[in-house]
Amino acid sequence: MLVHSRGGRRAVWALFALLFLPLFALPLLVLVAASFAGHWSGALPSGPTLDHYDAAVRGESLRALTASLATAAAASALALTAGTWAALSAHALGRRARRVMDLLFMLPVAVPSVVAGLALLVAFSKPPVLLNGTRWIVILAHTVLVTAFAHQSVTAALGRLDPAYEQAAASLGARPWYVLWRVRLPLLLPSLGAAAGLCFALSMGELSATMMLYPPDWLPLPVLVFGATDRGSPFTGSALAVVLMGTTLLVLLALSRIRTKASYR
Amino acid sequence: MAEARPWAPRLLWAGVPVALLAAGFLYPLVLLVWQSVSPDTGGHSFAVYQDVFGSEVFRRALGNTVWIAAASTAGCLVLGFVLALVIAFVPFPGARAVARFVDVFLSFPSFLITLALVFVYGSAGMANGLWTDVTGAAEGPFAFLTTPWGVILAEVTYFTPFVMRPLLAAFGQLDPAQIEAASSLGARAPRIVRQVILPDALPALAAGGSLVLVMCLNEFGIVLFTGAKGVTTLPMLVYTKAILESDYPAACVVATVNVAVSLTLYGIYRAVSRRAGA
Amino acid sequence: MGIRFEDVTVAYGRTTVLDSFDLTVEPGEVMALLGPSGSGKTTALRAVAGFVTPARGRVWIDGRDVTKLPPYQRGIGMVVQSYALFPHMRVDKNVGFGLRAQGVPRAETAERVEQALALTGMGEFARRYPRELSGGQQQRVAIARALAVRPQVLLLDEPLSALDARLRSGMLAELARLHRELPDVSMLYVTHDQIEALTLADRIAVMDRARLRDVGTPQELYRRPRTEFTASFVGNANLLPVTVGRDGGVRFAEHDLQAPTGDAAPGAEATLCVRPHAVGLGDGPNPLPGTVTGIQWRGATHRLLVETAGHRLMADVGELRDPPAPGDTVTVHFAPDDAVLLPAGTGGDDRDG
Repeated sequence: MLVHSRGGRRAVWALFALLFLPLFALPLLVLVAASFAGHWSGALPSGPTLDHYDAAVRGESLRALTASLATAAAASALALTAGTWAALSAHALGRRARRVMDLLFMLPVAVPSVVAGLALLVAFSKPPVLLNGTRWIVILAHTVLVTAFAHQSVTAALGRLDPAYEQAAASLGARPWYVLWRVRLPLLLPSLGAAAGLCFALSMGELSATMMLYPPDWLPLPVLVFGATDRGSPFTGSALAVVLMGTTLLVLLALSRIRTKASYR
Repeated sequence: MAEARPWAPRLLWAGVPVALLAAGFLYPLVLLVWQSVSPDTGGHSFAVYQDVFGSEVFRRALGNTVWIAAASTAGCLVLGFVLALVIAFVPFPGARAVARFVDVFLSFPSFLITLALVFVYGSAGMANGLWTDVTGAAEGPFAFLTTPWGVILAEVTYFTPFVMRPLLAAFGQLDPAQIEAASSLGARAPRIVRQVILPDALPALAAGGSLVLVMCLNEFGIVLFTGAKGVTTLPMLVYTKAILESDYPAACVVATVNVAVSLTLYGIYRAVSRRAGA
Repeated sequence: MGIRFEDVTVAYGRTTVLDSFDLTVEPGEVMALLGPSGSGKTTALRAVAGFVTPARGRVWIDGRDVTKLPPYQRGIGMVVQSYALFPHMRVDKNVGFGLRAQGVPRAETAERVEQALALTGMGEFARRYPRELSGGQQQRVAIARALAVRPQVLLLDEPLSALDARLRSGMLAELARLHRELPDVSMLYVTHDQIEALTLADRIAVMDRARLRDVGTPQELYRRPRTEFTASFVGNANLLPVTVGRDGGVRFAEHDLQAPTGDAAPGAEATLCVRPHAVGLGDGPNPLPGTVTGIQWRGATHRLLVETAGHRLMADVGELRDPPAPGDTVTVHFAPDDAVLLPAGTGGDDRDG
């Protein structure tokens, strides 16, 4: 323990609360409060109402939620497959080739998402591959952006995996494919679950590239949140944001339950 | 470890995901850079670069981007270090829950922070409302939300957890006996922090800081939601040029510059974090 | 034939971890690879398993050149120090893994899993997960898993070193019993523990610094070691620098000693190896006067440390009613037949005898 006196500790904790609560807890609380508020002009919101939620779960909003969920599910599944594949195949290569692959797959993190969106716009607005104006370009963008994170988590998990397991399996006569399917992937399952959650959350909240690419018939939830606040209805925006956060949390919770089940330690 | 397997099939397997990445990301990126030197009038030139570099908007955006990112990163480092220090070394009941909360925080999109700050510090928000209620004045004093300071506050809030995570991991590996030994030798807390904890945490701090710097440079949602005409950053300018003004050549030029700046910093981040063993 | 190493050399970068290794393990034989850490014994085992590729040389299993074969085509069973039981599978799935991987039908797999578990006394734990078992039980499951595929050779890499001392001696007896029940399986047993090697092995290969130093039955290596390194690594040894005399004896410092000199050339430098338990207290053949520098009581025996002519001698003698005190002058002796003459300079170059 760094601070030994009781008073000193209290002072440190008070400072912590003073920094932490207004910065991190307040914004989330305020969003939730605003989503139930009829007005907010003064210290506290007033006129409690459920109208915003009423609007947030029907019509355009419901379509946006569906679009976001579908995009996030598709992008996470694709990214997890590609990222795991890349991590596994890089793991089997020599040290230098592995480093090159890691670097390539981390590039989408370094490049601004807006720029990634613009690049896709430039590349796929003309034949032979015309994706601009379709939902597929949004899904493609999300996939590219979250693959980097999937690749990174799986690579880290592979580094922690004891090679004794796959060697034991190989010594018992199991071919590499069998080892992958029966030993390595099951052992990686908890990390894959975590990676899936990360990808899903990132895709649900993706705004930068989406703003560059979304077609009129595929408006993901963040775009709608922006639209609402831009129109001057921040309360609707807050309700949509709470729906966005709630859905993300629910999916993360479900994934972490699977993860606990798959964890054998 | 050398294994009795040929390397050609392994290279082939690695080729598949690389080809996918190339089609979905590398090729579009190259095309974008190519577009930036191919004006609509045909041929290839750096004419658009000259136009863009000469414009006041671009230069302001570049300056804004860099200084907002630098200020936000500095804020994240200080705040993240202090908060992680308390969680790790002056633990309180619920400290673990706070650490979990930080993890959850990371899974929310950045623009929500700005959206929330509007209710807190906006012209009709909590802070100004409190002020007018208490003093009876017609208007509150908080009007910084649409200035760069608003962006910096939002970015510090959102990105501080990215500094705390590696720090908490590093603090977890610090041998508590070191701190006990130091305090048994009569060192007080500030001295222990300065001479024992800080040197040990420097690599994690550097790695976290450079990652946050890159993410701040690339941040778009927070700036977009701030909605201020006065605060334009490079990503914002890319969006404005491409979507609002349909000036694609200019957008490509700004994007290329943005990529160059970010990649340079990202290279530094990789070098630092590799040295930090992260 | 069981396993044969033919001039096997393994190198990582510039470091040679196994150097021109030649060894044959007969069918049904238990061969212990004994050596300190870094001696190359685990590398030799991994070369048989196929996890390292020799830079030079060949590895044969059962008359088949497996040097270029991947691990899964080698027909081996392997047990490692950490057991590497698959944590996500029950015990029966673990034991049946190799059979299922090789396409053995479900029904036959179940039968053979049962046999393998019965053989190791783990039948009642079939439905447990590895994390629910003790270290010793995990060890048995790991052995059952390796045996279920009916390998021609069983590779054991420090299998007992994760167990505590009591379990270890129990498992040693178990392994000896398994060996009797499976007389056709060759075992390659890597260990740094001489007791394990002496107890279990039909023959011991002594390794040091990437090279094979000595091979022989435990009795040969203990009674008639060929090198100083073997003498000191397999059991304890007093190693005395001597000069070979003319008349079937040796000269140690000021003393003429009787010892079998074989065909050693008179006048040559040599090392005389005498086991501590062969050294007696009091007058006798080959008497050596000295000063007691230390005495340790070990229950059934006393170990005396006696300094004679500038050398320290260990003597393990039956428990003494009236042991000498440090500083006392005593005489120790040993029978000529208990001494072995070794060529000088056959120990580790940088190791004290």
